[in-house]
Parts: sequence; structure tokens; C-alpha cells
Amino acid sequence: MSQEETLNGKLPGGAFLGRALHRIGLRGRGLVIAIPVLWLFLFFLLPFLVVAKISLSEAAIARPPYLPLWNWDDGFLNITLNFGNYLFLFDDPLYLSAYIESVKIAAVSTVITLLVGYPMAYLIARAAPDTRNILLMLVILPFWTSFLLRVYAWIGFLKGNGIINNILMKIGLINEPLVMLQTDFAVYIGIVYTYLPFMILPLFANLVKLDQSYLEASADLGARPVTTFFTVTLPLSASGIIAGCMLVFIPAVGEFVIPALLGGPDTLMIGRVLWNEFFSNRDWPIASAVAIVMLVVLVIPIMLLRKAQAAEAEVQ
Amino acid sequence: MTTSQPSTAAKPWDTPDAVPFMQIKNITKKFGSVVAVENVSLDVYKGEIFCLLGGSGCGKSTLLRMLSGFEVPTSGQIIIDGEDQAGVAPYDRQTNMMFQSYALFPHMTVEKNIAYGLKRDGLPKKEIATRVTDILSLVQMDGFATRKPHQLSGGQRQRVALARSLVKKPKLLMLDEPLGALDKKLREETQFELIKIQESLGVTFVVVTHDQEEAMTLSSRIGVMNKGEIVQVGTPHEIYEFPRNRFVADFIGSVNLFEGRIKEDGENHVVIASPEAGTDIYVPYAVSGVEGQQIAIAVRPEKMEISKADLGEMRNRTTGTVDEIAYMGNVSVYHVLLDSGKRVRVSQSNRTRSNEDAPTYGDRVNLGWAGRAGVVVTA
Repeated sequence: MSQEETLNGKLPGGAFLGRALHRIGLRGRGLVIAIPVLWLFLFFLLPFLVVAKISLSEAAIARPPYLPLWNWDDGFLNITLNFGNYLFLFDDPLYLSAYIESVKIAAVSTVITLLVGYPMAYLIARAAPDTRNILLMLVILPFWTSFLLRVYAWIGFLKGNGIINNILMKIGLINEPLVMLQTDFAVYIGIVYTYLPFMILPLFANLVKLDQSYLEASADLGARPVTTFFTVTLPLSASGIIAGCMLVFIPAVGEFVIPALLGGPDTLMIGRVLWNEFFSNRDWPIASAVAIVMLVVLVIPIMLLRKAQAAEAEVQ
Repeated sequence: MTTSQPSTAAKPWDTPDAVPFMQIKNITKKFGSVVAVENVSLDVYKGEIFCLLGGSGCGKSTLLRMLSGFEVPTSGQIIIDGEDQAGVAPYDRQTNMMFQSYALFPHMTVEKNIAYGLKRDGLPKKEIATRVTDILSLVQMDGFATRKPHQLSGGQRQRVALARSLVKKPKLLMLDEPLGALDKKLREETQFELIKIQESLGVTFVVVTHDQEEAMTLSSRIGVMNKGEIVQVGTPHEIYEFPRNRFVADFIGSVNLFEGRIKEDGENHVVIASPEAGTDIYVPYAVSGVEGQQIAIAVRPEKMEISKADLGEMRNRTTGTVDEIAYMGNVSVYHVLLDSGKRVRVSQSNRTRSNEDAPTYGDRVNLGWAGRAGVVVTA
């Protein structure tokens, strides 16, 4: 049975639609792919091209606040590409240090998230099936509350007369409150707290599949549990580690809300720079250039991830 | 079927003062209220290939896992080479295991897989390299050292798994369904290689299998397991020719079981009245039993004669109708329906390419077997 026939048979009155789609070269298989392709085109590629276009234009006090890239003048097509925005990014040390700071904060919090998340994922994967579901539920549970609200709640914990300081003072560990809010420390806490589930879930999915007989074989060959962990479990969960790290690192680099709420004035992350350029300075071209460069910075780890996944697919 | 003898010419299990290499004493393993292994005692001698044979869920794998330390016995004692294994962790035991799934580390090359156990012992790099090379050539896998497991065929993986478990020169090697994942042809070839390797290294093997043919070919002795208990221990010959009870007779090979009662209990013979067989069965040896006792006699299909002609010279005779014939090339198996309604299997080897006189469907046939062909099973 051809795909056209299937389509006709399944959809009431679909004969006409089927024929029409067939005429423009779309059959069952093409149709299935068409939807995500269309989605990516409309909501990723098109906006990206718009941003790329703005990044090459000149700022102006106008509406929208930039000059058009091309105009038609007396039979001449004038195209003005302004690379000045990009050059400006490298001129002003503010942007470079914001990129470096963002990548640093994201990298450090990714490592902390991994160190916290791995044992949790391991424990959940090794738990009895009933307990496992409850533990997984607890990991996902925070998502049921607004992200903004949860980050905001941390202010209550971290501020000068907040919960943590109050407890520490009451038990006499400190005499005066620690400055935690509006520091990088608070940003790390915020990022690790927020993105922990994104680390745990891929790690869990990986570790739960780990064949117990590998661990038994390792023990049988004389490896103690710690050795087995570093020689067998850890390398076999590499793809889960990479996936979890990417899921944490990529959004953390561009994070805006957490540094804005918990960070201090000197926590300069690229998300905040972007916000300032866009909303305070109304310099859309610079803001777009900042976004494009950030995208390029992030494409590199994504490509590494794809390479690792391809390598793992080959093994299986 | 062939029987391999252990490298020691004598049979240590028949020698009263021989010291067993491994002793299992009254081992019981319970999972909650389920008894997986019940009160098993077993002696295995140095250089043996001992097969634990049984259907799935009979407890053979649990027993093996207790030997390697992955399960802790609920009660009982395991002694290997004079050392009590209680409380000894798997990584401290001088035994190795070849896993049913092979469990080759997928992220390591063949070489690294085999070197893994030697590295854990902290051997010098040079020695590790020589031993890996040696064992690879023993299992005929030289040239595959740098491959990853996923680049190997099933038979090659089996060899690597064997090499990895042998390279540490374990006191005892446990093999969990070692040939289970191989196709029939490869399995037959590998069986003999396995025996050769075992003999050249002198390592004691304990093999778990559900395949009776594999057990018969490989082992010096077989322990037949059923429902967590060892039903019979013996050489393949003993197990096949002298099954202790109906389960063993039925599990190993195919068998015709005739139920009956002792009619005449002589000093060196018994006569069993078996309405099922349609005749009184004469057995030319004494049986421990009393007159009238319910008893069964097991006769293997290949020990029976089938003919359209009279089988006057046979001690036990009956008649029936050919119901089905299975032609297997080397033998033909006849399913004969006796007048009692009992179905009997008789196999005849096909010595000539075609036999005009061979019985065919619906023929009335005479069946006969010698007095010593059958074995009495009481339990």
C-alpha cells in the first residue's frame, strides 16, 4: 500500500488534501519531518536572521531604533553593512570580561552541579524501583513552582538578616552577619540550585541503564568498589555527564534572572549586559551583536556534545 | 556423545581419601520466602569440569553466584582450596567468572579488557603484556587486541570473555552458560576447544548450563538440579544410563517411562507387571523393593528395536501402531502408539540410504528391548 493510499484511508475526506500535498511533493514521511522543519524555520532560523541583520545595522533614534540595512535610492540599491558593532565588542574590555566572567561562572557552577548531581543520580538509579519513582518526583517537584519565585526565595535565605545568618548567629558560630547576597557566591548557589534537575535527569537516565554485570565482572576481576567506579561506572556514564553538563552550562552562560536577583553590581554576566544594551541604552545593534557572539561561543560545546553522542551511538 | 575425563586419570570422587578442591556444605539461599537453593552439598575435585545442569529457575545460577561471592548464602558453608569463603568479598576471591552476557567492558579494547584483572593485582606492565599476548593466542584471538567488543562477533566475544576470566589463573573458574549465545555449529566446535584449554591449564571449571548436550560433552561430572536441590551427581554416563529418578531420566535425553508394579521379586531378577507397556517387563538384576510396589522402568528410544518382523529373541516385547515418524538424517524416530494408549519413542539409526522393510505410518509393529536395556527408577 502506498503512503498516499494510507493517508486517504485514514483521514476522512483526506483524499483531496492527500492529492494536493502529493502534488507539491509531500508524502507521509516528508509530512512528518515538515512540521519540525517548519517550526525550526519560524522560531529559530527566522529570528536568528533578524537578529543577525540588526547586528549589522547602525543604531539610531528612531522606531525601530536602528537604520535599515538597505535602501532603494534612484535606481541604486544601497546596502550598508556595519561591522562596527562587532569591532566595538572587542574594543571595549567590558564585553570581553563579561563573556569571560559568564563562561567562568557557568563552568564553575556546572562542575559544582555535576559534583552534587552525580551522587544523587547514582543513588536514585540504584534505589529500589518504588523508591526510585519517589526520588525522581522529588527532583522534578521544584518545577511546579515558578522559577522566579524560587530564586527570589533564596534572597530570604542569603540576606544579611536572612534565615542562614540568623541561624548561624543564634548558635554562636558568627558574631555579625555574613555578606552572601549580591556576591558571586549567591549566583553560584542560584545556578546550582536551579539547574540541578537538568544535571540529575540525563545522568539518571544513563546510570539506570548501566548493566550490573559490568560492575560484577569488575569486582570478580579483583577491583574494589572505588576502583570499579572510576574505571567502569564513570567512563560508561560519560555521555550522561556530557549531556547534563551541556544542559547546565549552555543556559547558565546566558543566565540573566539569577545574577540580576542574587548577584552584586560587579557580577558582570553577558545576560545582564545584553539586558542593559537592549532596554537601558536602547542600542539594538550592539545588543544583537552581543547575542550573536554568545551564540557562536555556545555552538562550540554543542558540537562537542554531538560528537560525543555520535561516538556513543557507534558503540551501541 | 563423548565423555571427557579429567586430566587426572583416576576418578577422585571414587577415591575415599581424596580431598575435594571445593566443598559446598548444606548451602541454602532464600530470597524473602522463596527458597532458591535448598540444602545443597557438593564436592568438586581439582581439575574437574563440573556441570550444574537444570531448567531455568532451578537455582543453578544462584548457586554459582554464591560461589563467586555475589550472593551471600542464608546458611551453609563454601570452602575453596581449604579456605572458608564466608565474608570474603568477590574482589578478594581467587575465583573468576565468565558471565553469561560476557560483560566485556564496552569502552575498553580486547587487550584492556583482558589486562583489567592483572592491573588490579598490580603486576608489572611487561608481565601483563606477555600474559595478555599468551592468553590471546591460547583462545586464537591474536590480532584482535586493539578491537573494541562491539567490533567482534558473538563467538569472538565468547573467546575474549574466556581469556579475561582465565588470564588471572584462577583456582576455580565459573562459567555461566558459556556457550549459550552461540549458534549450534559454533557451539559444538567451541565445546571441544573449551575442554582442551581447560586441560592445558588445569583450572577447575564449574559450568552452569540448561543444555544437557553441552553438559554431557563438557563435563567430568554433572550435578542435576531441580527446584533448588541437587537431584543426582554423577558422570555423564551414570546420569544417562542410571538416572536415579523420573526427573533425571526425563530431563536428560528422551526416555520411555513404563509405570508398573513389582510382580515377582527374585534374588537376581524382577518382573514388573506394566499394563501400560502391554507386557510383563523382565529386569535381570535385583531391585530394592517389595512385591506390589509402584515402580517405573525407563527405556531409552535408541535401546529399543522396532520391526514389522517378529522379535522373538528379545527379552521384552510389545506391539503397537506407528503414529509418526521423524526423519533426522542419522536416525529416524518412530512414535508408536501401544495398545494401552501409551505413546513410545523408538529411534533407529539409518545404516543404509533407504530401507524397503522400514515400518511406515499405520504399520503394526513389534517393539522389543533387552533385559538390561531398561533401568528401574523407584523415586
